[in-house]
Amino acid sequence: MKIGIPRALLFQFYYPLWRSLFERLGCEVVVSDASTKNLVQKGIAVTVPEICFPIKIYNGHVINLMEKGVDYIFCPRFVHIEKGYWFCPKYIGLPELVWKTIPGAKLLTIDIDCCREDTADIKCYLSLAKKLGVSNHDFKAALKGAAEDFEKFRSLCIRGLTLDEAAEVMFEGKKFEDFDIPKFETTIGLLGYIYNVYDPFISMNIIKKLRELDVNVITFDMIDPNDLLRHRSEETRRIFWTFPDKLYQAATVMIKDMNVQGLIHITAFGCGPDSIVGKEIEHDYADSGVPFMTLRIDEHTGESHLQTRIEAFTDMIKRKIRKVNER
Amino acid sequence: MKASFPHMGCVTGYKKLLEKLGHEVIMPDPPSQKTMELGVKYSPEFICFPFKVMMGTYIECAQKGAELIVSSGGAGPCRAGMYPDVHQKVLQELGYNTRVVVFDSLFQDFHAFYEKVKIVKNGTPNYKLLGLAKFCYNLIKKMDKLEKRMKIMRAYEINQGDFSNAWKDIVKMFEKCETTREVNRTYKKALEIFDAVPCRKVEESQRIRVGIVGEIYVIMEPTVNKNVEEILNNLGVEVENVQYISDWVEHNIVPQWLPFPKSHRVFRMSDKVAPLNCGGHDKENMGWVYDFAKRGFDGVVHLMPFACLPELVNLGKFPAISKELNMPIMSLSLDEQMGEAHVKTRLEAFTDLIKSKHFAKQRSTIGDAIGLKAQSAARKVGSKAQEVKDNLAPAPHTPAKQLTK
Repeated sequence: MKIGIPRALLFQFYYPLWRSLFERLGCEVVVSDASTKNLVQKGIAVTVPEICFPIKIYNGHVINLMEKGVDYIFCPRFVHIEKGYWFCPKYIGLPELVWKTIPGAKLLTIDIDCCREDTADIKCYLSLAKKLGVSNHDFKAALKGAAEDFEKFRSLCIRGLTLDEAAEVMFEGKKFEDFDIPKFETTIGLLGYIYNVYDPFISMNIIKKLRELDVNVITFDMIDPNDLLRHRSEETRRIFWTFPDKLYQAATVMIKDMNVQGLIHITAFGCGPDSIVGKEIEHDYADSGVPFMTLRIDEHTGESHLQTRIEAFTDMIKRKIRKVNER
Repeated sequence: MKASFPHMGCVTGYKKLLEKLGHEVIMPDPPSQKTMELGVKYSPEFICFPFKVMMGTYIECAQKGAELIVSSGGAGPCRAGMYPDVHQKVLQELGYNTRVVVFDSLFQDFHAFYEKVKIVKNGTPNYKLLGLAKFCYNLIKKMDKLEKRMKIMRAYEINQGDFSNAWKDIVKMFEKCETTREVNRTYKKALEIFDAVPCRKVEESQRIRVGIVGEIYVIMEPTVNKNVEEILNNLGVEVENVQYISDWVEHNIVPQWLPFPKSHRVFRMSDKVAPLNCGGHDKENMGWVYDFAKRGFDGVVHLMPFACLPELVNLGKFPAISKELNMPIMSLSLDEQMGEAHVKTRLEAFTDLIKSKHFAKQRSTIGDAIGLKAQSAARKVGSKAQEVKDNLAPAPHTPAKQLTK
């Protein structure tokens, strides 16, 4: 059986888990092509214009998978992966949104409503066993194995690899040592959700670009999840979305513990949680002395715009460091 | 304490409650263009429209010296749950010493809820508080009932503006009420006032009805939605709005498994297309759309603030749902750039469309009736069927297909 996984939204984060799970169950995993202008345009054509950019891209990938002729498209509904923390409403309505905008899409949907980050809770996934024709016992074993793989993947990330690099280590036979993690003088924290940072169409390979400018990049997935929890306080109203909260906590960790020299917040047009989180970070760390820049990306953003802005930003930071050192 | 609240729909109830708790009430003005501009200036750029309008209102209230702003919130995945935090931060940045107190659901964290009640209740004993809440709830409920009635009757007023003027008088009458008995008496009087307004008589088959669904703030506050309800009424269309404060309170206080109020049943009607609520009123709204279709409404107007998260999920589904239910749904996404002429033009076009659809449907049902008669007659006369059909088929509107069946 061919299972299609769209290369969009949380794909890069959960890909190792899903691929490992479906391969253990004897399915063939088909991943949609990397986002291209053509693919994204197809998504934009069917989706309501007002919705945020990542959802349009997601629809583009679903169409791409349908063209490839898969049996099912795996489209999980994320609700909770931590008690009291939600996903953005669009994730909760995603399967129906796709089902109603792309007629004929055969979706394989599960509700992810559990309290663990790897989502490998049997009660979320068990409904798949029946649909795929696997016995419950086999399914449990496969899920357990997949969860172990996911853990290995996360530990690679925390050691400093980006999600893409870690996935290469997991599935393409590369080794951790093959990647030399650059060590430059300047470190910039890149705040952005998985799809904003890792989708080459949204981010335009921002990590690569920053490394070319001799800058270390830290993203929230490279920070130990336990560190992220440490700064949560009872005093302020919590940010009740899982990933936006991770982002906010990551900003805290980066500023307080890692001494980053600058923060870049990369956000997609029309992102709801970002409008709040961006403001909160801006307000709470206004006095920290760390420069903060917001990059807003949509389907019209040109690559040169992004290049110019990050170049100016890194130049400014480097000049600042030089000045401090001279004193 | 000098207290205030955001302006949302009919505010007499909130004003009464705060007054009775011994606060000095600073009445918020209905949001004007100036309020919106003020809000837009100090809000995060991509936040939803209600936040910006409320921000403007809060700043205006703070300028007038309000020390306490009371509002309701949420803890779901909708951004409304984060409003108070950001509002507070912006007010702080601007140097106002105003406190924003927001009531979340009392089932989620009763302790936190009660702490906030303590701030607002201003030393009023609890037994009195319950009585006050009951009085204000009764007042709001009565006013909502009148408003619902007005939005149906206003479609048929002979002199345009009669009902709106009557409503202004009624609000003033309610503001003077001090006891439950007075509220009930005023309610009866208001009904009499409504009945005295001259209206056209319209047959049941001629009535055009439109439901309004959408985000609670924009559908309740007429100055924000550019008076959609009144425009529709003036075009001769009955309007049913799905959100009123009293309904909202009932929906949140009565346990979900009970079959009343109606919103609980409606909530479950959309299980197929929206298994889970996405945070706002999206699942309920979807249910209302199904409910309107079941009750034979002619159309639905969907109002949402620009980039509202839960309503966007609905917006994405509406084209398919509209086809499925054979009912036109018009979405209006509102923001500070929205002009009244734009809303009016679109509503006029929409009304034209649903009216012609309504009457076309009627003609075709009349055609059906004639077709049935023709068939029964044909059975009787046997071979002369075709002749009889020809004689009975009157209108060019009658679809030929149905006759030959």
